[in-house]
Amino acid sequence: MFSLWLRNIAKIQNKTQIGTKCSIINQQVRQLRTLRSVQNEIQVESAEQSLPQEQRIKSHKEIALDFGNREAHVPSFNLAAHVNNSTTLQQFISLGVDLHSIERRKGLGDFVLRLDFEKDVKPYLRFLADQGVAPDDFGRLITKNPLLFKEDLDALQTRMEYLESKRFSVEARQRILTQNPYWLMFSTRRIDRRLGYFQKEFHLSGHDIRLLATKEPRLITYNMDHLRKSVFTLREEMGFSSKELQTLIVHKPRLMMISPDDIIERFSYIHNEMGLSHKQIVQCPELLASREFRLRERHEFLKLLGRAQYDPQKDLYVSPSDMVLGNNFYFVRNVAKSDLQTFDLFLKTR
Amino acid sequence: MALAKVYDAATVFKHLNGIINVYKPAGMKLKHVRNAIIGNIAKGLNEMELREPRKLARDTPLLGTGTAADSVLHNIASNTDLSDHILAAGPRYMPRDVRCATVATLGDHTSGVLLFGINDGLKQSIHIQRNRPIRVYHVTARMGTATENHMPDSRVTVRANHRHVSADRISGLAASLQASHQRKMYEMCGVDLQTQAAYELACKGLIRPADNSQPVLYGIKLIHFERPNFTLELHAINESEQFIAALIHDMAIELRTVAHCSQLRCVRHAHFDVTDSLLRHGWHLPGIVKNLRRQREILEANPQLLEQERIELHAAS
Repeated sequence: MFSLWLRNIAKIQNKTQIGTKCSIINQQVRQLRTLRSVQNEIQVESAEQSLPQEQRIKSHKEIALDFGNREAHVPSFNLAAHVNNSTTLQQFISLGVDLHSIERRKGLGDFVLRLDFEKDVKPYLRFLADQGVAPDDFGRLITKNPLLFKEDLDALQTRMEYLESKRFSVEARQRILTQNPYWLMFSTRRIDRRLGYFQKEFHLSGHDIRLLATKEPRLITYNMDHLRKSVFTLREEMGFSSKELQTLIVHKPRLMMISPDDIIERFSYIHNEMGLSHKQIVQCPELLASREFRLRERHEFLKLLGRAQYDPQKDLYVSPSDMVLGNNFYFVRNVAKSDLQTFDLFLKTR
Repeated sequence: MALAKVYDAATVFKHLNGIINVYKPAGMKLKHVRNAIIGNIAKGLNEMELREPRKLARDTPLLGTGTAADSVLHNIASNTDLSDHILAAGPRYMPRDVRCATVATLGDHTSGVLLFGINDGLKQSIHIQRNRPIRVYHVTARMGTATENHMPDSRVTVRANHRHVSADRISGLAASLQASHQRKMYEMCGVDLQTQAAYELACKGLIRPADNSQPVLYGIKLIHFERPNFTLELHAINESEQFIAALIHDMAIELRTVAHCSQLRCVRHAHFDVTDSLLRHGWHLPGIVKNLRRQREILEANPQLLEQERIELHAAS
C-alpha cells in the first residue's frame, strides 16, 4: 500500500515536470524512501534519471546520512543490529558472551545495550579476576547473568568477605563463583538464611555444609519452594532416615534439584523393581540421578542375562553404581559382559 | 559410490533429505521423539564446520560517529561483519530449520518403527502415507486383569480366571476374527464373497481403505503363548493404539476372561523393518545420516512404495 502510494507520487512528478518546483514534496518522498529497505533506494535512482549528475551524487550522500539517522531511531530486532556500532558489545563478543541468548530474556537486551565497557563492565571483570575466576569463564558468566553489572561493587566485596568469614577456602570460593553466576546476586543475609536452612534441615556440620555448597553451588540459590518439595519427597515419600538423608545430600546435592515427580518414579523403580534397600541406595546415590528409562533398560538387560545380582554377599555381584556409569558401550562391555549387537536386539524387543 | 568424509555443515544440511526409521520407545510421546531428533540434528550441525561471519561491503559509509571507538573503526577496517557472528546472531542451525513430519502416528504406549520425513523427504513421506502401507504389530496381552483404558498403567477394573484359556482357543478365535474382517472388507466394497467380481477384486491385490478413518485388519495370528501372557501378530491399516487395545479386550471377553495390552510394538511399516530402525542411543547426526542412506536404498529397491498403481481404493462407507 505504502509503496504504491510512493510510486504514484513519483509518477505524478515525472508527468507534470514540476519536480524542481515542489522540492518540498521531493524531499519528503526521499525521506520516506530512506525509511524503507536498500532495494527501494535503487528505485529512487532509477526514478530520478532526469536529474543532472552532481545532483544525483548529492542526493546519494543525503541518503547515506539519512541512513545513519535511521540507525538511531528505527527499533531493532536484536542486539546483532548494534554490534557493529558498539564497543561494549564487541568486547562482549570477544569475551565469548552469547548475545543471542541474552536478548531472548525480557529487558536484558536493553540493559546490555546501555552498558559502557570501560565504566560499567571492566571493574566487575577485575573483581572477578581478583577472586580467581578464570578469564575463559567470563563469557559464560555474563551470558548467564548480565545483571551482575547492576550490583554495587562494595556489596559484592562484602558477599565475598562473608564467604571468607564462613571459612570457605579460596578454591571453594572460586568454584562457587564459576559454577553459579547468580550467587553474587544474593545478599549476605539471604545466603546466610539459606545456608542456615540446609544446616538445620539436615543437621550438617560446618564442614559438610561447606562441602555441599561447594559441590553444587546452584543448590543454595535454587527455588526455595522446589527445595522444600524435594526435601519432603526424599524424607516423607521415600522414607530415608535423617542420617541416610544427610549422606545422600552431601554426596549428591543435585538430587534436590530434580523434579520430585521424576525422582519418586526413579526411586520406586529402584526400590520395588530392582529390589535395592534404602541402605544400598544411599551407598550409590548415582542411581537416583540416572533417568528412569536408562535404569529400566539396563536392569532388564542384566535380568535377561541373569546377571542382575546386586547383593555383595553373593557370587556374580554387579555393583549398582557401576551399572549407571558410562555410556551404553561401556555398560555392555564391562558390566553386562555382552556385546552391543545383543543389547540393540534386546532394546528392539521392548 | 565412493564415500567421502564431510566436515562442512552446509553440505550435510543440503543432503539431509529423505526418510528415517526411528525406534520409538514405549512411554515416550511422539512430539518428544520428534523434538529430540530435530534438536540433535541442529546440535550436530552446529558442532561441524560452519560458515564464517560475512564481510562488510567495502564501500559502506561509516555508520555512527565513531569518535571514541577505535575498535569499531578497526573492526570495520578488517571488514568482518560482527553482527553475523555466531555469538551475536545465534546458532547457525536451529531445530525449527529442520522440517520433520511422521508418516503415520504411533500412540504413547506403542514402541517400534516410526518413520519420519526430513526436509525434502516430507514429499516422500506424504506419498508413502497415501499408499496406505500395512503395519505389522506384535501385541502382548496379559490375561487376568482388565484395566480402565486397556493399558498397563491405568486402574484395574476387573479380575478373572484364565486357566481355561489355551493356545488353541486363542488361535481359533484369531482365525475367525481374521476371516470376519476379510469378509467385512468385501462387503464394504459391495460384492458378495462367492462371486466372480470378488475374485477379480482379490486378484488385483490388497484392498485398501481410501481414507484414514476406517481401521482395517488383514491378519491376526498367535505367535507366542505363555500363561498369563500371549502375543499376537497383527497386520493392519489405519489402526490406532486404542483400536488394538479394544480388540485385545474384546478377544479376551470372547475367551471368557479379561485382558489388557502389556506391550504394543510395531515391527514393520511397509518395507521398513525394525532391524534397520535407529535406537535412542543412535539419535545423533552421524546415525541419522547413516539411517537416511539405508532407507533411501530401501526406497530405491521398492519404488512402488512411492508411486503405486491404484489398487481398488474403495470408499469406506
